[in-house]
Amino acid sequence: MSLFGFGSPAEINIILNGADKRRQTEIKTEDGRKEKLYVYYDGETVSGRVSINLKPGKKLEHHGVKIEFGQIELYFDRGNHHEFTSLVKELSRPGELVSNVNYDFEFVQVEKPYETYSGTNVRLRYYLKVTVCKRITDITKDMDLAVHTLCQYPEMNNSIKMEVGIEDCLHIEFEYNKSKYHLKDVIIGKIYFLLVRIKIKHMELAIIKRETTGTGPNTFNENETIAKYEIMDGAPVRGESIPIRLFLSGYELTNYARY
Amino acid sequence: MPPTNVLSAQDEQEKLLDEALQTVKAQSFQMKRCLDKSKLMDGLKHASNMLSELRTSMLSPKSYYELYMAINDELHHLELYLVDEFEKGRRVADLYELIQYAGNIIPRLYLLITVGVVYIKCNEHSRKEILKDLVEMCRGVQHPLRGLFLRNYLLQSTKKNLPDVDLMEEVEEAVGKPADGDGSVNDSIDFILLNFSEMNKLWVRMQHQGHSRDREKREKERQELKILVGTNLVRLSQLDSINITKFRKVVLPGVLEQVVSCKDAIAQEYLMECIIQVFPDEFHLETLNGFLKACADVQHNVNVKNIIIGLIGRLAQFAERDPNGIPTDIQLFDIFSEKTAEIIQNRPEMPVHSIVALQVALVNLALRCYPTRLDYVDKVLETTVDVFSGINLEPLEYNSEVCKELIKLLKIPVDSYNNVSKLLELQHFAPLFDYCDLNSRKLISSYVITNALDNETFIEEHDKADAILRLILSLIVDEPNKGDVKTVEDPEDFLEEQNLVARFINLLHTEDNDNQYLILNTARKHLGLGGNRRIEFTLPVLVFEAYDLARRYSAQRDSDEKWEKKCQKIFQFCHQTISGLIKAELSELPLRLFLYGVLVASDVGFDKVETIAYEFLSQAFSLYEEEISDSKAQLAAINLIMSTIEKSRCFGEENHETLRTQCAVAASKLLKKPDQSRAVATCSHLFWSSKPSEMKGEELKDGKRVVECLKKSLRISSQCMDLSIQVQLFVEILNRYLYFYERGCEHININIIEQLVEKIREELPNLDASQDETDQINKHYQNTLDHMSNPDVNDSSYLQLLEKLNI
Repeated sequence: MSLFGFGSPAEINIILNGADKRRQTEIKTEDGRKEKLYVYYDGETVSGRVSINLKPGKKLEHHGVKIEFGQIELYFDRGNHHEFTSLVKELSRPGELVSNVNYDFEFVQVEKPYETYSGTNVRLRYYLKVTVCKRITDITKDMDLAVHTLCQYPEMNNSIKMEVGIEDCLHIEFEYNKSKYHLKDVIIGKIYFLLVRIKIKHMELAIIKRETTGTGPNTFNENETIAKYEIMDGAPVRGESIPIRLFLSGYELTNYARY
Repeated sequence: MPPTNVLSAQDEQEKLLDEALQTVKAQSFQMKRCLDKSKLMDGLKHASNMLSELRTSMLSPKSYYELYMAINDELHHLELYLVDEFEKGRRVADLYELIQYAGNIIPRLYLLITVGVVYIKCNEHSRKEILKDLVEMCRGVQHPLRGLFLRNYLLQSTKKNLPDVDLMEEVEEAVGKPADGDGSVNDSIDFILLNFSEMNKLWVRMQHQGHSRDREKREKERQELKILVGTNLVRLSQLDSINITKFRKVVLPGVLEQVVSCKDAIAQEYLMECIIQVFPDEFHLETLNGFLKACADVQHNVNVKNIIIGLIGRLAQFAERDPNGIPTDIQLFDIFSEKTAEIIQNRPEMPVHSIVALQVALVNLALRCYPTRLDYVDKVLETTVDVFSGINLEPLEYNSEVCKELIKLLKIPVDSYNNVSKLLELQHFAPLFDYCDLNSRKLISSYVITNALDNETFIEEHDKADAILRLILSLIVDEPNKGDVKTVEDPEDFLEEQNLVARFINLLHTEDNDNQYLILNTARKHLGLGGNRRIEFTLPVLVFEAYDLARRYSAQRDSDEKWEKKCQKIFQFCHQTISGLIKAELSELPLRLFLYGVLVASDVGFDKVETIAYEFLSQAFSLYEEEISDSKAQLAAINLIMSTIEKSRCFGEENHETLRTQCAVAASKLLKKPDQSRAVATCSHLFWSSKPSEMKGEELKDGKRVVECLKKSLRISSQCMDLSIQVQLFVEILNRYLYFYERGCEHININIIEQLVEKIREELPNLDASQDETDQINKHYQNTLDHMSNPDVNDSSYLQLLEKLNI
């Protein structure tokens, strides 16, 4: 951060332990760019080293150095954010730095209950933040981490079968082989036409990502169509059935890319 | 409205098609470029863009087809490229899955098929599974036109890649059994049958979409597309592993189930036709029941008749071509007969002419496959009779469809047997005549007897004669026209008909005399009712036949004791018959018949012959006297009478005397002098060369009476006013004098000849030289002189005469 031409008196770097071996994932940032982040799982220790490099010949007086591990939920309407976790480790008591210095840090088996998420209205991020406290402006350094949660196959995964329609115009019954799909899954299904009294031009499946934010009366839904997939051309007659087969892995269903 | 902005429908089509083709061209170019650079995914993208053109709803089937063909070529290129790549080992993982991300279904499925076929060709995946998947996935296109073409693409792309082995057979061999995934012919059958029924449903659906006023246009479009559906059946027929059992158990039931259940007349008609055409005859023979059952089940407005006729035609051809004919265990005729009856029964609205047309086909089948089974043909005719009696309709009008078919039906056995006699063995042939109107009955009757004449089929039993005459009753009597339609009879047609009948009567002929007599009696019974207009043509034939029979009895007199009695009966028969003609106010004809009868009687010479001959002659005389008034006819008649008397040998002197005197009197009573002169001159022969029975073959030679006749003739001729005729008569009389003179008639005074010659010489120059007759007379005279100069007689006075006359 540079203000009025004055450079920051010191440069802070965070080096994670075993970073060279750690998986990374791309994640969409607020402004739509993609950023590569290291991936952690729930309960994993986050450790590393903070190095503060001074500009040659400069001293740095400070009121203490600390590192925080935090999880934050940000609403894009700003001003309304929610911090879940904040673990702080003091790296140095107040004093004066005269040369480059390294601090090791370790957050042992830290709980990371939610996945990193970057949606339309809400974002959930994990970060490491080093702060060198000063009298006027603190010097800070952020590093975002990505968190993946591992989940198990659902115990119940029934097929979906449902009859829908418009009374006396269109009755269809659709059937999907499962109710829950994983990201690389393929949706297999069938649509039966029980009654067709309207002109159908075509029929398509849409994959819609729905983001629900807030609770209670403040619940707010945001839908985003990820894909449209034509499954039928023309008008069927009663008794016809058409197949559905949709491979999911080709679509960006989440905010981060899979590896 | 400025007309420039309005494009005709056709121009509009051309424009749209042109645009689409442009896009195809551009995109396929891009596709190929990408493929050349090994950028497969980009290539597929362009392929997909190109295929998007097939999503259009704007094109007519014809234009859509053109577009489809253009794209087809490009897809072929893609397929070749992929196969090539795969074979080089550059496999693209999950290509089959990848192309399914195409968002639009039409491009997606075309690509899926293309890649699927590449997979099959490169053994990339189970062939069986891919085929199954492709045909299933195509269900997504429910638009008739687009679906039909898509599925056609499927059918065409997989054409050479369908499994065509029967696994059951392979198992036995154990070795070389194909991998399970390759599938067997059963999979191919399932594949095609499914594709077929889906395509057919789409095709039928076209009928029910759009505005009802466009029906005609829609039907035309459907007709244009039918071959797409039919190709499925062709493909089935090309699978070599389908044997009769499979065909009967799987293929045909599958196809028929769809055909029947689609309930669409156009489809049913075309597909049934298609089935007949594409599958081999041997298969049809084994599955007749099933097929015909389906024929009974199709829509009522389907022209089942054509389908069945088509099948019968094919099988009949097969029977004729195949040296073994129809296998004996297949009761081809019975099956067809039974099933068509059912079909007719189930279709009360079937037009009668169609029913009859079916019978036509059945008769054809019977005749071509079982030429010896008369009963089969009769059965069909019986069915037809039942049909007509059941509907109780008015007599069929000559030009009606039904009548045309019925006539066709009746003509077939006629042409096939070429034997009218055999025809009469068909019990139900004649009854069918009753349902036709007069014109048609006449037509078919003429046809029957023309056939008899062409083949010279003799009717040798009197009951058959009776039957056939009843059959052709419309020609031999005035039948009421049951339709009560006034028909104007063409006199020329009538003449032709009657000539035909007259010729036909000659075929009522047997070598057995007694039977022949019965036949003649039968014939007269019918023909006698023909009315004045007809008997003129028909009865004379009978009379001649009867005379001929008398001669035959006479020739066989040694072997038949009663021959004389029988001859007598025959002459009685003739007398009656000829009298019938007299009643019809005919005169010359009966006169001639009587005279001929006299000659025959004279030749046959049984007892009582004189009485009969005399009766005949006296009848002739009375006809001459009472009925013939025209002078020319009179002359001709009296000449005939005289020559008959001269020729006959059966009269005793007493009768002969009366007759010849009668002749002389009659001759001199003619109206015109030249006629008188000639007739009297002719009469002279009666007194010379007649042979009354007492003379035992010797001539009468009454010279005195001869000369009297000649003198009288000469006297009459000199009364002629016309010089030319007079001279002509002189020459003629001179000839007669010479004739009798040369025959040794002593009563002829040679001076008469001299006087006659001189008279002629004197008058000849006075004739009008410009007239043709004059020439003839001169010639006649010259010939006469030539004859005189070479006399047969060696008589001095005659030679002196010649000298004197300078001849």
